[in-house]
Amino acid sequence: MRGNNWVKFFLVIVIIGILTYLTFAGIPGVVPNVYKTRLGIDIRGGVYANLYPDLPDGQKPTVDQLNSARSVIEKRLDNKGIFDRNIANEPENGRIIVEIPYKPGETDLSPQKAIEEIGKTALLTFQEVDEDKFKGFLEDGTRNYEQTGRIVIEGKHVVNAGVEQNRETGEMVVTLKLNEEGAKKFADATEKLVGKKIAVYMDSTLITAPTVQTKIPNGEAIITGQRTAQEAGDLADTIRAGSLPFRMVSKDLNSITPLLGESALKVTINAGIVAFILVCLYMLVNYRLPGLVADIALFGLVVAELFFISVLGITLTLPGIAGIILTIGMGVDANVIIFERIREEIKSGKTLGASIDAGFKRAFAAILDSNVTTIMTGLVLYWLGTGPIKGFAITLVVGVILSFLTAVTATRIMLTAASGLDITKKRWLYGVKEVSK
Amino acid sequence: MIDIMAKRKYFFGLSLILILIGFISLLINGLNLDIQFQGGTLIKIEMADENFNPDEIAATVGNTLNKSVTAQKMKTFNPQNANEEINMLLLKVSNKETLSDEEINKAIGVLRDKFNVKSDAQNQVQSVQPFIGREMLRNGILAAAIASVLVVLYVWWRFRVMSGLSAAVMALVALLHDILMMFSLYTVFKIPLNESFIAAMLTILGYSLNDTIVVYDRIRENTRLYRKMGLQELVNNSILQTLSRTMNTTITTLISVVTVFIFASVNNIQSLKDFTLPLIVGLVSGTYSSVFIASPLWMMWKQHSSKKVISGKAAKAR
Repeated sequence: MRGNNWVKFFLVIVIIGILTYLTFAGIPGVVPNVYKTRLGIDIRGGVYANLYPDLPDGQKPTVDQLNSARSVIEKRLDNKGIFDRNIANEPENGRIIVEIPYKPGETDLSPQKAIEEIGKTALLTFQEVDEDKFKGFLEDGTRNYEQTGRIVIEGKHVVNAGVEQNRETGEMVVTLKLNEEGAKKFADATEKLVGKKIAVYMDSTLITAPTVQTKIPNGEAIITGQRTAQEAGDLADTIRAGSLPFRMVSKDLNSITPLLGESALKVTINAGIVAFILVCLYMLVNYRLPGLVADIALFGLVVAELFFISVLGITLTLPGIAGIILTIGMGVDANVIIFERIREEIKSGKTLGASIDAGFKRAFAAILDSNVTTIMTGLVLYWLGTGPIKGFAITLVVGVILSFLTAVTATRIMLTAASGLDITKKRWLYGVKEVSK
Repeated sequence: MIDIMAKRKYFFGLSLILILIGFISLLINGLNLDIQFQGGTLIKIEMADENFNPDEIAATVGNTLNKSVTAQKMKTFNPQNANEEINMLLLKVSNKETLSDEEINKAIGVLRDKFNVKSDAQNQVQSVQPFIGREMLRNGILAAAIASVLVVLYVWWRFRVMSGLSAAVMALVALLHDILMMFSLYTVFKIPLNESFIAAMLTILGYSLNDTIVVYDRIRENTRLYRKMGLQELVNNSILQTLSRTMNTTITTLISVVTVFIFASVNNIQSLKDFTLPLIVGLVSGTYSSVFIASPLWMMWKQHSSKKVISGKAAKAR
């Protein structure tokens, strides 16, 4: 029995050890280490903007419209060579969140200028192609051409674009539906251009250039040649974007200089280390042997939280780091409740083993209740919060859930094992005065 | 043994005075909303030296944009080198005339062309349309309301044994107490309300309840153990028995938060200061309200309702 407890004790230590190694060293290609954690705009500096469609107050875009607007934004950022970015659609709020960090060494205001430009109404054109204006291949192998300016139809002629599966070949195709004027223009052009190409441009970027197979008289065309459903979906989104009746403007814009962020990060991390040491000392002085066990578990909590943040790819913001530090303080709360209870049980005359068992059992209800309420409010904050504050909600909730494992389960295993030793039977070690015999 | 219950009036009084101070300063200072909630545009840009005239700059930028702009000088220390001062220009546009993306870039363009902006200056911009600001404020209040309701429903359900409704209502009173304390801090020190406050408030809503729950939990346990003990003694004993854990859980959390606050103050990191200061007040207030507000109130409710039962019985007997 006692031997079994020690096996469990060392298992806990080994698990914490492995987590520590994984967190700080990582496994290349499998587990990213903590130094690679994505940092929020408030630390790296850059632009954080909520883009809203330029509609009258209170009017919301549809999910499809937002997806289209997003595909335009993605394409335009690609064009500018801004690949380090974070774009998220929030259909329930009718907005798109765009985060663009400063690149180190960059001093001009390009991220902020980019925000102004990416929201502009997309200019979609279908143009005739001259084979001699060939200018190389796109990434996916499509032949790229200079614009000829001979416009067949424009975005305003597109009623809708969608994705369908060809029943015979199983291939994913993009369907195109044009309005009356567009259908007529398209019919004339396709009649003339059979066997030739028509290129689709977003702004001045070629999106695709399919070959006309036959005259299309009714304004309902399909574009084949997409390799995957994803590719077909992207193309449909982009074409639809050309018919969007609005532009996207930032109604909530934050641009932050990287000057302050980096030093703030260092300061906050130092604050975290100091807080950790102080909390550990407090527990050690107050609860002695159990305190030491709680400190080991607390170390496990911090490491586990960092591990989850890097594995889940959570963006770390300053409030997020504050959330981690807050969990350092909250993480030992369960231990305080348990250890106080154990102390009471020892004083009431129970044996050490029975006291420890009773302490964990009786404290459980209070610990569960307190954690559940903190998780509840954390989730509400995540749901309704924005930007950096969401980062806080995440680290807080993850920390509280993990603290359940470390402060209750891990501590119990270690304390049960440690109390099995004769040396550790002294009541003094549990912060209770020795009874004179 | 200390009788907290007997002295409850003093504790109630202290809380009321502090909350009153908050309300009075709200009347005097008014509600100070951050750009985030109010809307408006704020541009900070680094200047080459301190010899610039903010009024002249405000007039020029204002003319270019045809909007009323205010400007002021600001100094801050270089975080990498504490001896080096950084001269900043602060441009402000009121919430009625929030700038669009084009206008912001135009304003920065004018600054760079006509004034002595540091060549590699990085600017800081915060611009929120009033419509969005109102929406964010509404979301924040909504979040606080939803969180309170959820938490109170949970307490109600968990503490059915000790008449859950009264326990839940008094827990809610304690939570409101904590929120009002944090709010008072903001109005007295004229700190602009922003999302940090909402986040701190929600954290306290969830956390401050922990202490109340620990006391309630002990009352629940003692109710089963000592069936004959008077209510006042029972509640008082429960509070005293749990006092050291109530204190210690708060102290460990305070150690963390105060450490961050001190580091943020020394290094002048405004966002973290704004976030941790209300947390500190909320933590202290949360413990205070659990011990000195929620439990005595709950006891008074129980005493009141049991008196009703007794007098009701007496009336019947006659």
